[in-house]
Amino acid sequence: MSPTPADSDTGREPLPAPAPVAADESPGGTPTKTWIGRIVPFIPALIPAAIIAAIAWTLLNASGFYNFGWGFWLPASATNQYGVLVEIVGSFLTAVPALFLSMVLGLGIAIASTVYLPRFITRFLDPFVDLLAGIPSVVYGIWAFVVIAPIFGTIINPWAVAHLSFIPGFAPSTIPPSPTTAGTGLPLAIMVLTLMALPITTLLIRDALRSIPRDLWESGLALGATRWEVMRRVGLRHGSRGILSAAFLGFGRAIGETVAVAMVIGLDGRFPVNVYDVTDTMAAYMFESLDAAFSHPILLKNLAELALVLLAITFVVNLVGRRLVSHIYAEEVPGI
Amino acid sequence: MATANATLPSDALLDPADDLRRGNTARLRWRTGFDRWVGYLLPFLFLVALIPIADVIYFVGSKALPTLTFGVLLSQNNYQSYNALGVPLISTFEILALATAIALALGLFGGIATAEFLSDEAAGWVRMSANLLAGMPSVIVGYFGYFAFVLYFGWGLAVIAGAFTLSFFMIPYIFRTVDLAFSSVPRPIREAAYGSGAGPAQYIVRVGTPIAFPQILTGVFLAMAIGLGETAPIILTVAANVAVPANLFQGATYLTYLIWTGYQFPAGSVALTLAFESAFLIVIIVIGLNIVVRIISARYRKRLEGLYQ
Repeated sequence: MSPTPADSDTGREPLPAPAPVAADESPGGTPTKTWIGRIVPFIPALIPAAIIAAIAWTLLNASGFYNFGWGFWLPASATNQYGVLVEIVGSFLTAVPALFLSMVLGLGIAIASTVYLPRFITRFLDPFVDLLAGIPSVVYGIWAFVVIAPIFGTIINPWAVAHLSFIPGFAPSTIPPSPTTAGTGLPLAIMVLTLMALPITTLLIRDALRSIPRDLWESGLALGATRWEVMRRVGLRHGSRGILSAAFLGFGRAIGETVAVAMVIGLDGRFPVNVYDVTDTMAAYMFESLDAAFSHPILLKNLAELALVLLAITFVVNLVGRRLVSHIYAEEVPGI
Repeated sequence: MATANATLPSDALLDPADDLRRGNTARLRWRTGFDRWVGYLLPFLFLVALIPIADVIYFVGSKALPTLTFGVLLSQNNYQSYNALGVPLISTFEILALATAIALALGLFGGIATAEFLSDEAAGWVRMSANLLAGMPSVIVGYFGYFAFVLYFGWGLAVIAGAFTLSFFMIPYIFRTVDLAFSSVPRPIREAAYGSGAGPAQYIVRVGTPIAFPQILTGVFLAMAIGLGETAPIILTVAANVAVPANLFQGATYLTYLIWTGYQFPAGSVALTLAFESAFLIVIIVIGLNIVVRIISARYRKRLEGLYQ
């Protein structure tokens, strides 16, 4: 597996060989003979599962199985106080575009990192992308609110109003006023969520592309394909599971994000009238409403049921995302 | 190799020599030129990640440093009217230390058990559950802490409720790094230990832990960085206190609470000043922890390679 002359075609060091999978890598190897000895080790290992079960059970209990009827799935109004449709729609309106952007950017960064940049540069640059995941969401929130919101309010949104108004949804509105000069609203929330989902998508796509077998890569080049062509026709297909899992896990991160979104979305429980408008998301609504629910038992049950909806969404999304990669990687990627 | 045949269509004119033979130099130049320009332009996407990081660090630094002095860090004054971070800093340290202790106790045993005693299939399910816990939205865990600890256990908004809630974010990270660390102890060393008569307990304490220790440390540091930045669960379970909590059943003020309550205040107000200073401290500590983690894991990798020689 030493570097061959063929590697000079790529202009970079060869793709690292996939991690060798030992045939017999069963952990333990220690005979635990007794019945007790077999069962006891399971108890600490079941802690994460127990916590998840406790979370689900507590939320079910707190909801009291209170029946809000169909009104729960409709927008809140004077006659339907406990509807949450606006928050559910708002969550998807922010998470889906953010996921799309972070997948496009993540793919670009991952391809640049695996194919085009020499190792000594990516060794230096990749940790910065990982560091994006380390910065706490509340810091993103205050940064976006103080630094980025005025840019959206005074430059980007007015520019979009002036030049893109012919597209449905991009026209400004007077009642309610949108866009405002404050700059909070959907575009800012989508930008923040894109940044917060970017490290996950980039990391997972990068790992998926790095796991392309080198002989596959080199035979593509040997056939005369350019690096781009091999990446597009071989690499992306070989890494498709990892890329798909990046999409699921990035979506899970984006839809569950709480504080940063609460700081920039506007926290206004109505459907947005155009793309610049303020709205609300499930997580942000739950976060800001708990104080009010303290003396309002029915609202508390309402919030617990909304929490169950969000829990179900993130649970399924994360489960699918993890299942997709668990077949490829012997070890999970730490840090995400 | 079947995959390669399937994914490279035979009519794709991939062969530059073929392009040349057909006299199709324009197409050849387009293909190689496209590849070259993708190589020039794609790396600029790194700026999308680098600029926000640089700007966040510059932002918190430039806003906080003019007002942040050692006096501010030590001052025990009421933070509602004075630029004083002493009380929130002590409270934050107390909650974080307690949460780390709880998470370490639970995560350490869980990780060791998963790596050492579980069958491959069972370990797979356990790892999946740890990953699912890590992917849980913070507001959901915060709600759980609120309903379970604050209301059901009747602890009220208290340090102990916040510490337990916070530990649920840290457990999966510690759990996974411990699991990974013990799983990556070189097989020959493990076999030598068992072969020379060590039992599981002796192997774990005398052989496994010294080898896995640096990586466990990285897990603890990563978990602390995660815990330090959490906001929603802390606000829902600990709330605020203008004084250092006298016992574990009183409220306390976490650094992130100051950011959440202060970010909308006008420039120059005490609340916004404290928010900037807290953000600066959090960013510095988190980046510091990340750097330490990188240094430790780089050395650890070298040490593991050395073990084979």
